[in-house]
Amino acid sequence: MPINISNAKRRDAVVAMEGLMPKRDVRYLDPEGHPVTTRKLLKSDVTHDLAQLMKKRKKLESVSKVLIKDDPEIDIEHFGMFLADTSRVYVSARGIVRVVDEFEVVQNPDGSVRDRRPRVKEPQNINTDVPLRWTGKYIKKDEAVRRFVFNSKKQLVHVNGLTFDFLYDMAKDLEKRNSLLLVRAGENGEKPIVMNRGGKSYNAFLEGRVKGDSYCLILHLSNMELKKPKEIADAAA
Amino acid sequence: MARELILSLDGHEFPVNLVKIDRARLYGAVEIEAFDEKGKPAAIKVLAPDGKTLIDIGGTALATVSEDGSSIDRSNLVAVDSDGEPVESVPSSFNQPNLLSQARSEDYLSQIVKSVYALEPAGGESLDFLQDHLAAGQMYNFPFSYRGGLEHDSAFVVGSGDDAFMVVGKPAALQFVRLNQAAVLDTVEEKEISADELDFELL
Repeated sequence: MPINISNAKRRDAVVAMEGLMPKRDVRYLDPEGHPVTTRKLLKSDVTHDLAQLMKKRKKLESVSKVLIKDDPEIDIEHFGMFLADTSRVYVSARGIVRVVDEFEVVQNPDGSVRDRRPRVKEPQNINTDVPLRWTGKYIKKDEAVRRFVFNSKKQLVHVNGLTFDFLYDMAKDLEKRNSLLLVRAGENGEKPIVMNRGGKSYNAFLEGRVKGDSYCLILHLSNMELKKPKEIADAAA
Repeated sequence: MARELILSLDGHEFPVNLVKIDRARLYGAVEIEAFDEKGKPAAIKVLAPDGKTLIDIGGTALATVSEDGSSIDRSNLVAVDSDGEPVESVPSSFNQPNLLSQARSEDYLSQIVKSVYALEPAGGESLDFLQDHLAAGQMYNFPFSYRGGLEHDSAFVVGSGDDAFMVVGKPAALQFVRLNQAAVLDTVEEKEISADELDFELL
């Protein structure tokens, strides 16, 4: 995924951003020692779920009897088929719909509704004409790890010799400071990061590490502080 | 009743209760309501590749298959490590004391976070000993497995304010990339910021 980011000199470049996965030390083999894979398969569809069965029989007791007797919840021809390239669609009583009005219902931590508003899908802002801003705002690593939960991480990787120097310098600078850099989006650098249209907003922090002539530049994403929910804090008090 | 996890630090053992924390408990949550053109409620379903089969939540399953596509019962699988050696299963961390080792911020920053817990005192024991160490800037980690299994996760015990937390995750597959080397120049106005300046009410 491309990302347009600026450095401390306000020079910007489009570089690659890669997702980071956990290290996997364990894998599985079949009894003959061959590797196995995991596939997604169809277990049931909406025409065989409980709501459909109830339409014909009304009472749960009669549904349970027919489940035992006839297996109406199973489509022998289709269930068990491998699924790939599935898509997500909106479905109403009229079937698949392509135009919907979406609303956001914002709830407080106690479940009460704070706001209900039309959903506005913010566009992604990591690869636009306006590069992500090197804000010059640093936070020491030791403080950051005690204040924020970093829910997700990405790694920035150069795409050519010029951007190698560009990113290496960033990493080296940040390692030297032993700090994370707050990265912002928008013309004035006031917006949090949005990776995908309509996606979550994150506070983003850049960490740099250098080892010899190699570097590791990590974008830490956080939408949560490391603190107790009010209900727990109040109970303890 | 919540299970107690026993932590061990410098010869002191103390039980703790784990209280899971997520964003919804801190800031609330956003639910999406959708309506079609006639104002009737609409819900998201999964559409199968045939273009007509609609699948609701719980309508899919994961199957383990061999190279030729045959389904294999998981009980017949052999877990091996990166060297191909069979892996011994690990016990649940709730079954024995867990020795805390000193950790660095870089180790913590290298992990992919799976769960966050607040540590609460249990069994009438105080957490003062642990909290004194955390307040002094220490951070600890230990191998953790909630239910037992094939691999441990990494659990980091971190202090924030007067509270203690346990952040569980797995090390990320970070990669140092190389090509050349260049100098560093700073032209942006620099300043240290306080964490309090940041807004986390991003709803």
